[in-house]
Amino acid sequence: MKRRKFILNTTLSIIAMSFSPLLKAASSSKKGKKITILHTNDTHSNIDPFPANHPKFPGMGGVAKRAALIEKIRKEEENVVLLDSGDIFQGTPYFNTFKGELEMKLMSYMAYDAATMGNHDFDIGLDGFLNAKQYAEFPFVCSNYDFDKTILTGKIQKNCIIKRGGIRIGIFGIGIALEGLISKDNCANVIYLDPIKTANEQADELKKAGCDLIICLSHLGYVYQDDQISDKVLAEKTKNIHLILGGHTHTFLPEPTIINNSENQPVMINQTGWGGINLGRIDIDLENRLFGSKLIEVK
Amino acid sequence: MIRNKIYIIILGASLWACSSHLVLHHVPSIVPISKENSADTVLQSFIKPYSDSLAKSMNQVIAYSEIDFIIERPCSNLMNWSADALLTHETRNVRLSQPVFCLLNTGGLRSGLNKGAITVGDLFKLMPFDNQVAWVQLPVSVLPQIAYYLDQSGGEPIANASLENGKLKINGLNDTHEFVWLITSDYLANGGDKMQFFKLAQTIQIKSSTLRSIFIEEAQRQGDLISNSEKRIKR
Repeated sequence: MKRRKFILNTTLSIIAMSFSPLLKAASSSKKGKKITILHTNDTHSNIDPFPANHPKFPGMGGVAKRAALIEKIRKEEENVVLLDSGDIFQGTPYFNTFKGELEMKLMSYMAYDAATMGNHDFDIGLDGFLNAKQYAEFPFVCSNYDFDKTILTGKIQKNCIIKRGGIRIGIFGIGIALEGLISKDNCANVIYLDPIKTANEQADELKKAGCDLIICLSHLGYVYQDDQISDKVLAEKTKNIHLILGGHTHTFLPEPTIINNSENQPVMINQTGWGGINLGRIDIDLENRLFGSKLIEVK
Repeated sequence: MIRNKIYIIILGASLWACSSHLVLHHVPSIVPISKENSADTVLQSFIKPYSDSLAKSMNQVIAYSEIDFIIERPCSNLMNWSADALLTHETRNVRLSQPVFCLLNTGGLRSGLNKGAITVGDLFKLMPFDNQVAWVQLPVSVLPQIAYYLDQSGGEPIANASLENGKLKINGLNDTHEFVWLITSDYLANGGDKMQFFKLAQTIQIKSSTLRSIFIEEAQRQGDLISNSEKRIKR
C-alpha cells in the first residue's frame, strides 16, 4: 500500500517519512496469508482523548493514540485494512469550528482504506460534506443513497475493491433511512434505496467481480426492538456478505455476533462503541484449513 | 493492549462458497485505546495548532458541578437540567395564557457533564448541534401521541411535565385549555427523531437563539449547576 499524501507542513512531512518501513512491508508479497481488518465507527470528531475526569472512559481514545496503535499493528501484520462505518462528524468543538477538515486529514494520515457515511455526516449539508471530503484521501462508499440529483453525484462510490495478501476484498456501504433523522435541508434530493435489496445487489456484483471477501460498512445500527432494519436483520436477509462492520447505535460488542444469512451461511457482525475508544480488529486466516464452528479460549 | 484471554472463533470453510478456505477470528475483536497507549507524536504535533486555536474560547470555565451530570433513560439529572434550562430561559419574562412545557430528545444530548469545572467546550460536547429554539403551539388532543412516544422511546428530557402510567401530565393544564405551548428544538419541531406529532402543530415559531447558547447562559447564571434527579418519566 502506498503512503498517502498527507497535508502537513514541510517539516512534519519529513518527520512522517520515518514511517515508510511499515508501508514497504505492506506492499510486499502475500507470504503471511492473513488479512487483518481494523475498523472504527461513530468516532464523532473525538480528536483528543476523553478527559481524565470522565466517569466512564477516563483518558481513553484519542486519534494520536489510535494512529500509534494502527502503526504498531501494521508493523506486526502484513496485510492490514482500515475501515470506518460512519458518523465521523459531530460531537466536539473541532467539528463546529473546522467543519470536518481535521477529521478527514487525520483519517487520511492513518491511511483509511474506505468509509461510509453516517447520518451525522450530513450535519453540515451535502456542500459541507463535500468541502470536508476534499481532504479525504480514501473513498466513501454508500450504495443505498442515490446522490445522482445532488452535488455529491460522482463523488461517492457504491463500492470499492482492494487487494491484500492476494485476495480481492469488496467493500460497500449501507446507510440508515434519512427521514426523521436528518433534516430535509441537509439531504435534499438524496433518494433512499431499500437497504436489503441494495446490499444483495452489491454483494452479488462484488462476488461476480471476483471478490473473495465481501464487507458491508453499515450505519444501520446493530439491533432494534421494532421492525427497523438493523445489522442483524441485514445479515439474516442477505447473502454473499461475510462481514458487517456496523455503527449508529454506539454498541460495544464484547465479541462479534455470528448470524446465519438467507442461505444459512454465517455472517460476522462487529461494532466498536463510539468516540474512538476502541479499535475493532478481525483477522482472516487464509492459511489454516479449519472446519466446524467452535469457540477456543487461548490463555 | 494484551488481554489475558484471546478468543478465537473459527468459522467453517463453508463461509466462502468458492474454493478459498478462510477462517475468521478475532484477537480480540475490540482493542481498547486506553490512557496507557502511546501516541503518534507527528499527529500530536499536527493537531496542536487546531487545539490551541480552540483552547482560548473552549477552555473558559463557566460553572462548577459537585457531581457528574449523566444521560440515562428514562430520566436523569442532565436530561432534567437541559429541559429545565431551556424552559426557564424561555419563560423567565413571559406571561402566557396557555400552559407550557419543554420536550427535547435524549439523542440530542451528546455528552455528560463531568464533576468539577464546566467549560464552554463541555457545553459544546453536550449540545454540538446548532439547533435553534422552537415554540410550538399544539392542540391538547395531541398529548396522548406525545405520551405514547415518550413511553415507546424509553424517555426524553421534559420539564414542567411528567409521564405516569402512559399519561402525560402538564402542570397548569385544565379542561378549559384547548392548546398548550411546547418549547423544543427546530430539529424536533420539523419532525426529527420521528416526532411526527409536530405535524399537527397549530403554530411553530423558530427563534434565532440556539439551544447551546441558552445552556451556556443558564450554566453561567447558576454558577454551581443545580442537579435535579426527579423521576419525571415513570414507566
